[in-house]
Formats: sequence, structure tokens, C-alpha cells
Amino acid sequence: MDSRKILIVDDNADIRLGMHLRLKANQYETFFAADALSGVTEAQKHRPDLIILDLGLPAGDGFTVMERLKQIPLLAAIPIIVVSARNGLSNQKRAHEAGARAFLQKPVNDAELLAVIRQALGEPAGTKKPTPYDQGSV
Amino acid sequence: MKKKPLQVLVVEDNAGDVRLLREMFSGEKVGSFEITHLLRMSEAEAHLAKGEVDITLLDMGLPDGHGLETVRRARAAAPNIPLIILTGLDDEALAAEAMTQGAQDYMIKGQIESRALPRALRHAIDRHRMQTETDLIRTHQMEFKDEFLSHVSHELRSPLTAVRQFVSILLDGLAGDLNPEQRQYLEIVLRNVKQLHSMINDLFEVSGVQAGKLKIELQCTLVSDAIAYTVNTLQGAAAAKGIVLSSDIARNVPSVCADPARVRQILVILVDNAIKFTPQNGTVTIQARIFEEDPDFLLLKVTDSGCGIDPEMTERIFERLFQASDPDAADHNGLGLGLYICKDLVTRQGGKIWAKSELGQGSIFSVTFPIFSLPKLLAPAFSEERQAECPITIVLTEIGSQTGWLSNEVRAEQCRGIRELLRESLYSDLDILLPKMDSAGPAELFLMLAMTDGIGGEAICKRIRRQLDGSDRLRQAGLTHSTSYRPLKTIKRNSTESKEEFLERVATDIQELMNVEISARQASNG
Repeated sequence: MDSRKILIVDDNADIRLGMHLRLKANQYETFFAADALSGVTEAQKHRPDLIILDLGLPAGDGFTVMERLKQIPLLAAIPIIVVSARNGLSNQKRAHEAGARAFLQKPVNDAELLAVIRQALGEPAGTKKPTPYDQGSV
Repeated sequence: MKKKPLQVLVVEDNAGDVRLLREMFSGEKVGSFEITHLLRMSEAEAHLAKGEVDITLLDMGLPDGHGLETVRRARAAAPNIPLIILTGLDDEALAAEAMTQGAQDYMIKGQIESRALPRALRHAIDRHRMQTETDLIRTHQMEFKDEFLSHVSHELRSPLTAVRQFVSILLDGLAGDLNPEQRQYLEIVLRNVKQLHSMINDLFEVSGVQAGKLKIELQCTLVSDAIAYTVNTLQGAAAAKGIVLSSDIARNVPSVCADPARVRQILVILVDNAIKFTPQNGTVTIQARIFEEDPDFLLLKVTDSGCGIDPEMTERIFERLFQASDPDAADHNGLGLGLYICKDLVTRQGGKIWAKSELGQGSIFSVTFPIFSLPKLLAPAFSEERQAECPITIVLTEIGSQTGWLSNEVRAEQCRGIRELLRESLYSDLDILLPKMDSAGPAELFLMLAMTDGIGGEAICKRIRRQLDGSDRLRQAGLTHSTSYRPLKTIKRNSTESKEEFLERVATDIQELMNVEISARQASNG
């Protein structure tokens, strides 16, 4: 089976690279966007199986991306996982209302991120993939 | 420009008293006061709602309202209008109590000096205005501070994310194998990153403490779960120092009425502190038993064999930003916010927290939580006269997520959200949501208690379904619900039964229904 494609939309290059390394090690193919606008264009170009989306982005924000994607029939059903440093229930609620599958707060631990990705992609939880060392909460 | 007269509402059923009051204004310039006199509380409420009154003079003994209830009703009808209580000599204490409920002042009938009354009214209005302005300024300051803290913690979180990611990538060997020394050093980095993360969370929590915004959702909570969680979480940290971390839970400890996430948070803070301040090879014990001094409470004790606290400091340690000044405590890093957050959380759950210690003799931190009592929880619902005769209906609603894959943390938050959604979707004056009764895999079960007002149980079920069906927010949050068409039970109050007896009976019935539902779920799940 081809590896599943994940689009990472985050304006922090280090975080994009970190996620890429982790996802690559788990046999996912990754694409990147650093702002809201290219988040939408990259999604159109690559048709990812899943999108990891930051909320604070240049040229709009994560909510704009979700809104735009919803209007594009081919992309409307792509599961979105919001990974944001923003606080609070209100952002979480808003993200869910906008159609996000999950809201994870930064700093997110990779074990949880991978678990959420697997669930969103409908992969069985027991899939044999490396388990990250850093699993605990603070 | 001519000043508008001050609109004074006098709510008083004694015509003689009203005449006297009117006379007291006779010395004032014509057009400076305009008095409206009403006899009943209900009329006063309607009049206050129009928003034309500048100040209210309220008698606490009216034909349709008595005592502090009148104060509450007046405040509810017009929260921003100053209120002065008129009282007889015999209930001055009650009038003083009214001030704590928001009245500006009280005056004792027969002792009001005529010229003093108009002056007192003007002062009360001024005081009230100043109070309102101060409150407004404080709110603005608070909002600014919250915004600032939120901004700071956001900005700190992003770089921390990258650090945590890359350390974890290195530790997992994604960039090549590590030698044991490199691994050990990276583990130190990770530990410190987690520490920073927890400090940032504390910073954010504490802004919530000050704004009184930390969410607390009281429900039937097992402390043994929280203790097991704490021991599990901190066993590693204790073992690293050779500390024996153990728990001692008395047999049959009852559940408490508390927020399980907050109980865990409190215990983690206390035990984490105990481990920090206990030297190598010491002991830390968590105990749970019924509080001997007040059997309505459960006592949790965290005892350590650590460095202890100066007995004079055992109260100050709960203050914000308090730090032990012990030079040996250099590695006891933290912001000095943990115990402050603990105290706020414990107090707001109806409990108490205190510490006993001697320098060098270890410390004992004690926390109490009220023992869970269903009748007590239900009591507020039965306070309205309207509900005295109506039957009550118990309905079960099950809420699940369409995908059913949320992580535990997200689920806990989600659960709060659901509860708020349910409350918004229902007629809040008629329905009560009981605490979550159990988690049935991906679904959460909620028992709903409905005051039917005689419209019948099935109608209630249908209404709840309709309202939840119509809730866009439930749908948008990816949640599904199901409410059965038949109520679980309808209970009528016997004419011979006291309110307390009725509450006990309702509580017993609910408890039985819960047990039946939970075991049915367990049977079908397992």
C-alpha cells in the first residue's frame, strides 16, 4: 500500500521539520505549507489523506484554511488535526465547530499526535510502528 | 440645565411608614426627588425592570416577599440600581446580612433623622457609582492581564514544542544511535523541558485562579482513582530518589463530591512537592479516610519524611509566589504557584487544606472534600414551590463522538463541553443534568432529571430529543446523542412525605437506576 500523505501547515520551520522526521519514521509521506494561503493551494495540489494545522498563521489563520477547504468539494472531507499553542476551550470548541477532528495543544507529545493521526486515518491502534520515547504528560 | 429629579422607588406595605418617609423629603427643593410607592414585591420587580429607577428603598417584610429573598429579588430585577433596606429594630442583624447580598445601606425605621434621608440616598447613589466604576476598571485590568499571560504562554509554547520534538526524535534514535551518556543527557533535557511546560501551564492556571475562572465540575468522584493516578504518575520521580511512595486507603471510603480532574491535580501538586522536599531514601504516603472531626468530609493526607517547614510558615506557604528560602532547596524549581492553585481548587470544591510540620521532621498536608450525597446535590432543584407537587421524571441520554477516538484529555474537556451544550439546549429551569454516571466506551452517559410540571414523561423525552436534534453545536462538534422515548422512571411525591424524605427516596431510586444501567453497559461491553 502507498504511504498515506500528510500536509503539515505551520509557520514554524523547526516544527515542520520535527513533524516531518517523526512522520517519515512512521512511514507517512509529508508536504508542507507555511501560511494559510499555501495551506489551501498545497492541499489542492497533493490531495493529502490528513492535514495537521496550526491556528496562528500568516495570510489568514487556521480557521480560514478550514473554511476554504470546506468549500472545495474534493478537499472538504480531509480530516484535520489542529495542533496549536493557543489556549483554552474557546479555541478548541471553535476548531471542533469548524470541523477539526482533534485539537492538540503545543507542546504536543509525539505519541499522542501519532495516536490521533492513526485514529483519524482509520488505522488500527496496534499498527506496528515505532513508539516514541516521550509519551508522558508534564 | 435643569437637573432631572432622582427617581426613588419605595417598596413598603405600611402606609404610615410611607407617609413618614414622604415627609422627610418635604424639606428638599421641589423637583429634586420623585417618589414612586409600591406595596408588593411583584409590582416592584416589574417597575425595576423598566430601568427608570435611581434608587430603591426596600422593606423586607412585604405581603409577597420576606427577608433576604426580597433583597435577592430586587437585585435580580435590577442589579445595577442601588438598594437601601428599611428595617425595624428587631431585625437589624438581618439587614446587616442584606448588605452582604448587595444592599448599599440599611436604615432603622423610627430612627431615621428626616434631613439625613435625602443625603443618605445621594451618598448611596454616589457610592454605588464609584463601586461600579472600580469594578469596571478592575475587570479591564484583569482582561489585559489575562490577554498578556495568554500571549506570553502562547509565545513560549511554540519554541518549546520544537525543543521537545527534537529531543524526542534524538532519543528515539531517528538521527542515529546514541551512546549511554548522550542518552542520559538528552533525558535530562527532556525532563527540564517538561518542567518548563508545567511552569507555563501554572502561569496560565494562576491567571485563571485570580479571575476565578478555573473550571470545576462537581460530580461523584472516587478518590482511590485519583490516588492511583498520582502514584502511577510520580512513582518514577520517587524511585529516582529512592523514595518509597505508597498509599493507604481506608476500607469502604465513600465517594466525594468533587471534580476528578481537579482532585488529581491537587494530589499531583502535593505529592510532587513532597518528593521534591524529601531527601534520598525517604518516604511519602498518601492516606484517605473519613475525617474524624466532621464525618461529612473525607480526609486526604500526604505525609513525607522531608525537610519540613517552619511551623510559623505553614499558612504562608499557600500564598501566591511563596518560595521556600532554604538554600539547600536550589533544585526545588517551580514558580511557587502550586500550593496557591491547590488552595483555590480545594476551597472552591467546599473543602479545606492545611499543613502541619516541624523543621527537619517532615510535613503533613491535609485536604478535605465533602462526601458525595445525592440528596444534597438534588436539593436546590426542589426549592421552588412550583415543584412541590409535580412528579419528576428521570431520563437517560447518551452522548458519543461520531469517531469515538478522542484522547482521554480531550475527552475530559469534551465532556465539559457536552454538559454546557446540553444545558444550553434544554430549558434550564426545568431540567437538571446529573453528573456523568459512567463512561461507556466512546459514549458518555448522562442522567437527566426533569421536573415535568405535569406534562408527562414521554413528552419530556420527546422534547429533549427534539432539542438535541436541533442543536447545531452538537452536530458541529461531531457528537451524536440518543435519548430513549420512554423515561427511566417517574416519581411522585406523597402528600405525607417531607421534602427531605422525598429527596432521599429520589436519590435511592436514581442510585439504583445508575447501578442497573452501569452493570447493563458493563455486561454488553465485556
